[in-house]
Amino acid sequence: MGPSDSDLIDRWRGAPAPLLGLLHAFHDRDGHLSDEALRAVAEGLRVPLADLYGTVSFYHHFSRKSGGRDAPRVCDGPVCKQRGSDVLLAELEGATPMPCAGRCDEPIPVLRGGQVLVGTPGEGLRAAPTPLPPPNPAEGEECCFAHVREEGRSTLAGYGGAYRALARARELGPEALLEELDASGLAGRGGAGFPTARKWRAVREAPGGPKTVVCNADEGEPGCFKDRVLMDHDPHAVLEGMAVAAAATGATRGFVYLRYEYPHTQTVLERAIDEARDELDDFEVCVRRGAGAYICGEETSLLNSLEGAHPFPRNRPPFPVTHGFEQTPTVVNNVETLASVPPIVERGADWYAGLGLGEQRGTKIISLSGDVRRPGNYEVPLGFPLHQLLFDWAGGPEDGRELQAVTMAGLSGGFLGPDDFAATLDEPCLRSRGSFLGAGGVMVFDDRRDMVDVARQAMAFFADESCGKCFPCRIGTQRLTERLAGTAGPTAPDAWRKEVHAIGETMAQVSACGLGIAAPLITESLLRLFPERVDEALARR
Amino acid sequence: MTSPAEHRLLLDGESVSFREGETLFELARRHGDAVPSLCFDDRLEPLGACRLCVVEVEGQARPVASCTTQAADGMVVRTMTEALERHRKALCDLVVSENPAGATIDPLRGSASQELAALAVRYEADGGRFAGARSGASRTDDPNPMILRDYDHCISCYRCVRVCSEQQGDDAITVGGRGFATRITTEFEGPLADSACTFCGQCVQTCPTGALADRRALRHADAPGELAATRSVCPYCGVGCSLDILTKGERIVGVQPAFDGPANEGALCVKGQFAWEWVQHPDRLATPLVREDGELVEASWDEALDRAADGFREAARAHGREAVYAVASGRAPHESAYTIQKLVRTCFQSNHVDNCSRA
Repeated sequence: MGPSDSDLIDRWRGAPAPLLGLLHAFHDRDGHLSDEALRAVAEGLRVPLADLYGTVSFYHHFSRKSGGRDAPRVCDGPVCKQRGSDVLLAELEGATPMPCAGRCDEPIPVLRGGQVLVGTPGEGLRAAPTPLPPPNPAEGEECCFAHVREEGRSTLAGYGGAYRALARARELGPEALLEELDASGLAGRGGAGFPTARKWRAVREAPGGPKTVVCNADEGEPGCFKDRVLMDHDPHAVLEGMAVAAAATGATRGFVYLRYEYPHTQTVLERAIDEARDELDDFEVCVRRGAGAYICGEETSLLNSLEGAHPFPRNRPPFPVTHGFEQTPTVVNNVETLASVPPIVERGADWYAGLGLGEQRGTKIISLSGDVRRPGNYEVPLGFPLHQLLFDWAGGPEDGRELQAVTMAGLSGGFLGPDDFAATLDEPCLRSRGSFLGAGGVMVFDDRRDMVDVARQAMAFFADESCGKCFPCRIGTQRLTERLAGTAGPTAPDAWRKEVHAIGETMAQVSACGLGIAAPLITESLLRLFPERVDEALARR
Repeated sequence: MTSPAEHRLLLDGESVSFREGETLFELARRHGDAVPSLCFDDRLEPLGACRLCVVEVEGQARPVASCTTQAADGMVVRTMTEALERHRKALCDLVVSENPAGATIDPLRGSASQELAALAVRYEADGGRFAGARSGASRTDDPNPMILRDYDHCISCYRCVRVCSEQQGDDAITVGGRGFATRITTEFEGPLADSACTFCGQCVQTCPTGALADRRALRHADAPGELAATRSVCPYCGVGCSLDILTKGERIVGVQPAFDGPANEGALCVKGQFAWEWVQHPDRLATPLVREDGELVEASWDEALDRAADGFREAARAHGREAVYAVASGRAPHESAYTIQKLVRTCFQSNHVDNCSRA
C-alpha cells in the first residue's frame, strides 16, 4: 500500500512551490494521474479543477492513462534519429517518442518510469552513468570542468569538504562580490547572455521579499547535455553557486527546476543538499522536477510552472529580478552560470576573464554531438575557433565523410555550413553570421544527411513545443513545418520561398518569446546554405 | 494647488499626454483607434497573445505589443509603419488560414463575434495565403441548449478562459494542450453542464470569432427582418444590468449585455443572458382566466379584476390587513413592481411586499 491521498496532500500542502511535487507524488504512486487524483489535488491545494487539468495536459510526461508513467519513451531528437530511434521505437512495446532527452553523447536514451536507460537498435537497453566530458585535448585551462573528472567529486568530501567560495563571498560582502563578478565578465550561459552581476545587483536592490534564487536546470534545448554532467558529477559547485547568489542578493530560498528527463539527477542533487545543510546555513534549497515542456526553459515560463500556473511565458516588463517567483525579486540562472561562480570567487575575476581568447572573457561548455568521432561536452575558451573544435578536438567526420552543416544553440541558432566553420565560438562572431551561441549545443551533420528533412524535424519540434500563447509562433511554426514537409503550401520554388520568408520574418519580429523569434533561423539558414536541396525537395512534390 | 507633472510621449510624430499606468494600446485608441487587436478586452489583464497590436518603440530591437507596454515619458512610438502593417497582414493571414469561415459569422452569435471578420476585410485575408491544417474541433457533442462550442472558429485568444476566471470567477474552462493543438476545454473534456460553468454567457460575448455562440439567438438566424438592438435593463434581479434586446421586426431574437452598462460592464447571468424566450412563448397567457367550478375559463379584464379584488377584500376582512403579502415577479417590468408595492401600501396599508429576485 502506498501513501494515501491525504498523506500526500499533507506532505505537500505547506511546502514551497507544491503543485509539481504533489502531482509527481500521485503520478509516481499510481503510475498515472487519474481523474480522482486530479480532483484530490485540486481540492487539497484549492486550485480550480479545470485549471489544473489544463496545466497537466500541457506537459509531455504526465500520463493520464493507467500504466502510462512506466511506458518507454524513446528520444527522437535530431541526433538520436541518426542513430535509429525509429527502429528502437518499433522494437519496444508500447513505446512513444519524446523530444531530445539530453544524452546526445551516448546511445539512444529511453525513459522508463523513474529510470533512464540507453539503447541501440537490436541490442536492447542498459543502464549507464552520465558520461564524463572527454579529457581536455588542449593545454587550455577549464573553469567548470577543472575538477569534474575527479573520483568522488559529487560528494561534499570529494568537493573539498567545505564551501570555500561561499565563505570567501561572505567575507567579501555583497558589494565587493558583485564587483568581482562584474569584472569577470560572466554572463548567462543558458543562452540569453545577460551579465550575471547586473542581474544579481538588480535583485539585491529590488524592494520586497523573500528573495529567491532559481537554478534553471530545464536543459530542454535539443543537442544540449552540459548541465546534466555538471549536476551529476559536480552538484556542489551548482549548489555553492546558488548559495553565493543568495549571499550577494539577500535571497533566502532557492529552487532547482530540473527537467523531467533527468530523474537520477534529482537524487544526486537532493543528496548533495542534505550533505551541505551546514554550508547552506539558512538558505533553503528545494529541487522541483518539471514534467516535460521545452518552453519551461524560458525563465518566465519556468517561474509560472514552478508556481503551479499554466506555463505560458509572462509579459515583460516587469522582469523576474523584481517580479519573479510569487512576484518577488528572483535570480534565475542556468546551471553552468552558477557552476562557474565558485571558481571565479575563489580564483578571482582576472583569472576567469583571462581564460577567454582575444576580447572574449571566460569559457563556455559546448555540447557536441552527431557526426563527429568524439562527441561530448567540451569546455572551450570563448572565442575558440569552431573549426578547431570540430576537427582537432572532436576528430572531425568519419573516414570518407564530409561535414555539411552544424546547428548552433542546440536548434535555436539554425544551421552553419562549412564556410562558417572559420567562425569563433562567441556571440559577436556568431551573431554576425546570423546565428548565436546560446546554450552551446552543436549538432553535426555529415554529407549523408538530408538537410531539408533535418530542418523539417527541427521545425516540427518547435511547433510541438510552442506553448500556444502567441499567434505568430503557434501558427507560424505549424505552417513552416507543413511547408518543409510538403503537406501544405506552394510547390513552385519562388512562391514557396516568398511564403516561408514572410512567415519567418513576422515570427522573428513579433513573437512574444525566444522560441518564435529563433525558430525561423532554421528555414532562413536552410535556404541560405542549401538552396539546391530545397529546390530538389520541391521538385519531388 | 500643484497639478501632477504631465506625462508626454511622441505618438506617430505628435506629442500626446498620457495617464500614469496607461498602456500604449489604450493611448493609441484615444488617438485614432487604428491599432488592431484580437486578444484584447478592456476588462481583462492584457495577454499579448495576438501580436496584432505591435508598435515600434524607438530603442527597442523589435516591435512590442502595445497592450502590454506601458507608456513612458519621452517614448517615441510609431503605430502605422509599412513594416508593422505588413506584420499585421501576415498575422491576419495566418489566423484566417486556420479559420477561413471566420469572415462570415452571424452577428447573433455574440457581441464581439465580428472582430475577426472585420480584420479579415481590412487586411484582405481570405485564408488562401499560408493555407494549411486547421486547429480546433467543434464540440457538437455538448448538448447544452445555451452555449454553442463551435471551436472550428477558435483562434486561441483565450478571452473566454480569461473572462471566466478574471471576471466571472467560475474557472470553468481552461487552455488544454500546447501549441497548434491547444484547445479550450473543461476538466476531463466533458460537457459544460458537468463543469463549474454557470452559463453566464460572458465567454460567448467576448469571443472575437463567434466560436462560442448564443444557441438561443441562433435559432432565429433565418428569421426575416433587419437586426436591431434596443437598450434596456434586465428585468430579473436588483443589480440592474444594462442589456441590448435584439429584435428582427416584432420578434425578440436575443439579448446581449451592454459593455457600457455601469452595473454590469458587459456581464450578465444565465437568466439575463438566456432566459428571454418566455416573452414570446405560445404558453404565455394572453387573456385573463378565472376559475368556474374548478375549471379555468377565459374572462374579461373587468371580470377578472373584480374577482381578484373580492378575494383580497374577503381575506383582509376575515384575517386583518396584514394577511396579504405581495411578491412581485422578477420577470415583470419595473413599472409593474412599482405598482404592486403601491397597491400593497395604499390598498392593504401594510409593507408586506417584496420581489422574488431577493428571495
